[in-house]
Amino acid sequence: MDTLALMGTGFLQALSPLNLAMMAAATAVGVTIGCLPGLSAAMGVALLLPVTFGMNPATGLIILGGIYCGAIFGGSISAILIHTPGTPASAATAIEGYQLTLRGQAGKALTVACFASFCGGLLSCISLYFFSPPLAQLAMKFKSPEYFWLSLFGLTIIAGVSSKSMIKGLMSGVIGLLISTVGMDPMEGVPRFMFGQSTLYNGVDVTCALIGLFSMSQVLILAEKRIEARPAAAKFKDRFGLSRAELKKITPTLIRSWIIGNIIGILPGAGASIACFVGYNESRRFSKHKEEFGKGSIEGVAGSEAANNAVTGGSLIPMLTLGIPGESVTAVLMGGLIIHGLQPGPELFTTHAGMTYTFFAGFVLVQFFMLGIGMLGCKGFAHIARLSDAILIPSIFLLCVVGSYAIHNNVVEVAIMLIFGGIGYLIRKFDMNATAIVLGLILGPIGERGLRRSLALSDGDPSILFSTPLCWMLIALCVLGLLSPVLMNLMERRLHEKHGA
Amino acid sequence: MTRSDIGIVAIIYATCLLFLVMTLQLKAAAQIYPLCLIGGLAALNTLYLATRLWRLFVKDARQEIAAEASPDAAAGSSAADAKAEKPGLVNDLPGIFAGFLPGQFFFVLIASVAYLALMHYVGFYLAGLIYMVAVMQRLRVPPLHMGLTLAVLGLLIYSVFTLFLKVPLPRGVLFS
Repeated sequence: MDTLALMGTGFLQALSPLNLAMMAAATAVGVTIGCLPGLSAAMGVALLLPVTFGMNPATGLIILGGIYCGAIFGGSISAILIHTPGTPASAATAIEGYQLTLRGQAGKALTVACFASFCGGLLSCISLYFFSPPLAQLAMKFKSPEYFWLSLFGLTIIAGVSSKSMIKGLMSGVIGLLISTVGMDPMEGVPRFMFGQSTLYNGVDVTCALIGLFSMSQVLILAEKRIEARPAAAKFKDRFGLSRAELKKITPTLIRSWIIGNIIGILPGAGASIACFVGYNESRRFSKHKEEFGKGSIEGVAGSEAANNAVTGGSLIPMLTLGIPGESVTAVLMGGLIIHGLQPGPELFTTHAGMTYTFFAGFVLVQFFMLGIGMLGCKGFAHIARLSDAILIPSIFLLCVVGSYAIHNNVVEVAIMLIFGGIGYLIRKFDMNATAIVLGLILGPIGERGLRRSLALSDGDPSILFSTPLCWMLIALCVLGLLSPVLMNLMERRLHEKHGA
Repeated sequence: MTRSDIGIVAIIYATCLLFLVMTLQLKAAAQIYPLCLIGGLAALNTLYLATRLWRLFVKDARQEIAAEASPDAAAGSSAADAKAEKPGLVNDLPGIFAGFLPGQFFFVLIASVAYLALMHYVGFYLAGLIYMVAVMQRLRVPPLHMGLTLAVLGLLIYSVFTLFLKVPLPRGVLFS
């Protein structure tokens, strides 16, 4: 079936009443999670992963995509109305958005945030449709040695780029790899590190680890500090909507931020929290009304929001085609794919193409739901954003328990989730990298299989790992991944010196 | 170098040791891959320790010498470094745990662990009710909000997990 036919079929499947209802519900849940300060998109997706178990993979992934997009947008509501970004992805939105609120233009700020998020998200779907299949075709050429290097590349880039200390990031990745060895040895058939628990026969369940690392750890983070009432949301009476002149004013910013967000999304290690600041800075740099910045600029809000939502589609590309998630949310989404028995890579565009294109279509439609729900419900969400941590702490815990239990109806997995919650808490306190651990856990079996199969094929000769040009290309990427933080530091220092001089 | 660095290094070495002992009990062919990972983790940990020690003994000493030789120049050139990290062994734990409320934190943690035991005896829903009330009471949630939360969350979990997903949630040994 050609791509156009697949796209059409995907839309027809995605438009089923069940999928539409799930999109609406998931987007609303995502916006709710996003607008609650302290809760992240990764936490929300991890928490609701078990809900998708009983569904067909496309519907399950559409739900997770809806939560992802909704949460990234939802952060802007609390950023604009209570000057507290719901997620780090909306930190830049708070700068201009709250200034507009103080000027009595909260309705306008919310409209711009909503419309910019919609445009950024929708345009990012274009790159999702057009860049994913060629990359997947490249991945078709991969054999066991290449898969080994690919998993190593995924780890090095994430560990190197997304941690304050590269060594700590790499250590987190190796800890993840070590945890992935728990369970039956895939080649020798002997049990490893199971601590006498038959539940661990198939290894540590990725969902349990995800819920523990991202959601349960958040319960502990919230529980350690004094619970304070959140500021009241600003009341506003100005109307929602944009004039033609305002639309014209923000259009170049939207396009620029879309490109920025997309590129940042595709790059592993960077994410929506970086994109929003880059989008905001570039909107200020190119603006014809620089004097408005800092006092409430709609271009600033549009720049930040279009960029952070443009990350969503872009970040799915390396995850779906190569199995390299660019940030924590896509790592959790990849866990969702694996739970449904799907392996990221070329098979998603051949054997499971129908499911993949249904998910893509669902991702497009989710943007429309986000626009509608955002415009109609932002006053209501502003009230939800004030929900106390005292209510969130036990509620999230209970959802963590029921979610981890529902995986295999096993209490031991709830205990494993709790242990990962403790690990996640310590990791966050001591600046290690939870995303790298998850990646190690997910990529570990792929890398181990690739390495050991390669060595079995070559009778133990390690030169097989360096036998093809693709292997060398991936090795070069691994080295580049390791060197990138050093190179970026050098570049930054030179730029500072240049400006200083 | 900070106190948390010492803790991290010690925990990672302990993890390596634990996995090493367990790996050596496996048959020879199954040992190779875990040993590579343990070796890699130990090497990275040693590298981390070396960078911290270098900072403690070499960089800090250089800063002190520079400060003694020319206090003004040293203050200007290494102002950023000095801001980033003070010389010597720094106790960063008060900063990491700033605002930490041990009573509240350990109450939630112990209640969460106790919940698992309680769930075994009285089932998911009753244990959940007791846990929610206990924690919200401790966190001083007003009764009306408590009631609303219990009703909404109970309805949500029952409709999604029991009715929709048909997950047989634990009923507890006392009731089954």
